[in-house]
Amino acid sequence: MTRSTTDATGAAVNAGPGGLPGRIRGVATSLTSSLSGSAALTIGLGLIAVHVVLAVLAPWIAGHDPVATDSTVALTGSTWTHWLGTDQYGRDILSRTLNGGRYALLVTFLATTIAVGIGTVLGCITAYADNWFDEVVMRIVDALLAVPSILALLVVVTVFDSGLWVIVLAVTVVYAPAVTRVVRGAARTIITQDYVTAARARGEKPLSIVFREILPNVMDVVLVEYAMRASWIVLLISTLSFLGFGANPPTPDWGLMVQENRTALTVAPLGALAPIVALATLVIGLNLSADGLSKSLGIDRAQKGAVS
Amino acid sequence: MSSAPSPAPAQVDVQADAVVQVDDLSISYASGRRDVPVVRGVSLSIRPGRALGLVGESGSGKSTVARTLLAHLRRGSRIVGGRVTVAGSDVFALGDRERRALRGGTAALVAQNAGQALTPSMRVGRQLREALESHGLPGGHERVLELVRHVRLPDPETIVERYPHQLSGGQQQRIAIAMAIAARPRLLVLDEPTTALDVVTQAAVLELVRDLSVELEMAILLVSHDLGVVSAMADEIAVMRDGVIVEHRQTAELFADPQHEYTRELLASAPRTSATGLSAERGGGRASAPPPPLVTAADLVVRYARSLPPAVDAVSFAIGAQETLAVVGESGSGKSTLATAMAGLIPAESGTFTFRGDDGIEGDLTRPVARRSLDLRRSVQLVFQNADTSLNPRRTVGAAIARPLRLFTGSTSPDRVAELLEEVGLTPDFASRLPAQLSGGQRQRVGIARALAAGPELIIADEITTALDVRVQAGVLDLLTDLRDEKGLGCLFISHDLAVVRGVADRVAVMTGGRFVEIGSTEDVFSGPNHPYTRQLLDATLDPGTTVLRGVDDTTRTWRDADGWDDLGDGHRIRRWESA
Repeated sequence: MTRSTTDATGAAVNAGPGGLPGRIRGVATSLTSSLSGSAALTIGLGLIAVHVVLAVLAPWIAGHDPVATDSTVALTGSTWTHWLGTDQYGRDILSRTLNGGRYALLVTFLATTIAVGIGTVLGCITAYADNWFDEVVMRIVDALLAVPSILALLVVVTVFDSGLWVIVLAVTVVYAPAVTRVVRGAARTIITQDYVTAARARGEKPLSIVFREILPNVMDVVLVEYAMRASWIVLLISTLSFLGFGANPPTPDWGLMVQENRTALTVAPLGALAPIVALATLVIGLNLSADGLSKSLGIDRAQKGAVS
Repeated sequence: MSSAPSPAPAQVDVQADAVVQVDDLSISYASGRRDVPVVRGVSLSIRPGRALGLVGESGSGKSTVARTLLAHLRRGSRIVGGRVTVAGSDVFALGDRERRALRGGTAALVAQNAGQALTPSMRVGRQLREALESHGLPGGHERVLELVRHVRLPDPETIVERYPHQLSGGQQQRIAIAMAIAARPRLLVLDEPTTALDVVTQAAVLELVRDLSVELEMAILLVSHDLGVVSAMADEIAVMRDGVIVEHRQTAELFADPQHEYTRELLASAPRTSATGLSAERGGGRASAPPPPLVTAADLVVRYARSLPPAVDAVSFAIGAQETLAVVGESGSGKSTLATAMAGLIPAESGTFTFRGDDGIEGDLTRPVARRSLDLRRSVQLVFQNADTSLNPRRTVGAAIARPLRLFTGSTSPDRVAELLEEVGLTPDFASRLPAQLSGGQRQRVGIARALAAGPELIIADEITTALDVRVQAGVLDLLTDLRDEKGLGCLFISHDLAVVRGVADRVAVMTGGRFVEIGSTEDVFSGPNHPYTRQLLDATLDPGTTVLRGVDDTTRTWRDADGWDDLGDGHRIRRWESA
């Protein structure tokens, strides 16, 4: 089944060994082919894209300052000036929801990237090391996995403050161990492959083997892991805010908004519903992407015969 | 029915009582938006008690045809035309229930890898009982034992209590055959049934299948890329290429007088133990002035763990410069361990193992790779068995070759990479391709180019052609011998296939149970006299065109190790033995 791909990259002949244009083109073709193959992935990435665009453009399209209070218009329903109404302090719900997306996406992106990054590197290294280092790291991972994530976060946030970086780092500590474990499993199957043996027989340095031979081949697992962890982290951060340990008022945060507006649910239902809908669509988008990615990457792998 | 005019004279006498009748079958596979024809206009028929061999290279559609007899199509494939009739019914017109009755009931399949065909978590006895009961037969203990006895496994009472992983590959395949014949099928489809087995086990399993087919009056369809296996087993042979049967004849006729050009090509590229080797005359001229050995091993012991018996046990040999030493033996004989130890991937436990190169590079091969000098690492290069896994799927061919270039020569350029690619018979534009876009033979060539990039003096070739089709195999072997002569390389050639060894090696060492039992020049080893184990290997090897299976017993050993060696002169030495 490699016939179609041969045609595609046969054109990139002049891109010498490891040529960057060829590689980018290769990634692009594989991405478009997996996109066209999976409806779940298309919808998922579409939802995420909508969230990102709205978050980036929030200051210009929101129309109101998300933290400006105006007691004269508290708890109105939908009006021409406030499309989704206002909350008990007269803040515009649409503006708060849109700006809340900025905060949610930023924290999620940072926390997920750092957690998955650390977990991936650690996972590959421990898988390759397979000695006392592996033992030590994996026992620490076991210990961290045994701690309930919400409790750990609550402790961290209570001891320190609930600033952005504290939350990001706390989430990293909670999620990196799980990623380490998953990536380590994937990397262990790569290590038995002959190209890793070939690198060892050449006398390559261990870190060079990890980064050149192992890491590129667990990237698909990492990608799926990234999308899945991101959806959990969005929920976790909102949960923290809802419980009052996350973002400080008056920061526009979805979890915080639901918490603040749930008492006024009967008067101004949109105050709680809007952030819930926003949160749900983002999580669904991330989940669909993870699902679609794992399917299309899985099929890719089987077709390319990379893994039997 | 009015059968389509077929090129095969053997098909004219199509009989009404044929178990299998395939008429003008065409299958295509949807690849993206295109329809790729996989099988085009294939017709064949098999009568009870007869065996048809389906030969071809990978991708020729032979497995696809074979699986249609069990009403199985790969996902994405569809029947474009024609029909498949098994025991009188059109298999693709069957309902779900009848289809299940067909599979295993009327037609049974024995797959290539029995280890994967058996459920790992279930005792084999229970799996056999299930095979019986799923077709409405009584699955009593006695019936199960009878099946095990039927496939000639010793001590059925203990075998049925075992899990699949506790059995050897040959035993697993026998259990798989027992499951297949449980419901007394009228048709047995064998898809590369012995590819994963040793020659000795292969011969025994094939003999079993043939006897069973006569006893149970089964029709047999045997799919294989191995002309030796097919010629020994099948009454008639159909040669497939690109989804078409190009020649369909009685076995003896086909080998005596192949009509189609492709068949002739296939026959010519198949290695034989009896043929005069490609390099037979090479060895003779050189024997007069023996050059100093490149590698010397004495009493070498390699052990994976202290608690285990040694995988390589007191082995001594030498490889001269520009000499190919082949090590043959069954799987588990320790031959690959020897290669791994030479590459420095596991350290030797005791004994001496030294390398002395032409340009003054000396080194101790008992050391692991991390403690070897750069020069020594450069001089000893490894080519792997499985080209599919020996190249990193995420790196281009160019990057794979450039890496050792940079590491060992300090510099790399696209020109040098292109040069190396041309040396192994590829074009420079392969540099930008990924391994997935290459065929098996091309990948193996890249693996050789990667080894050459270092500028080695010794190549370790570990079963490098096992996964390849005969024609591709012949090409790769030619390349290896050419390069060796051109560059004056020494070579340790590991193989289980004596026929391949015959064409490549200057000297042959036969290994079993971690020890050498015989070592000598290729001519001497193939002409004898031999150690009984070598004899057994030679007897079990099936040359294309052999129509008899010499009765080979794979279960009992007829000899016992004794101390010392017998020297038959000219470097031909045989370990002493006594009958057991």
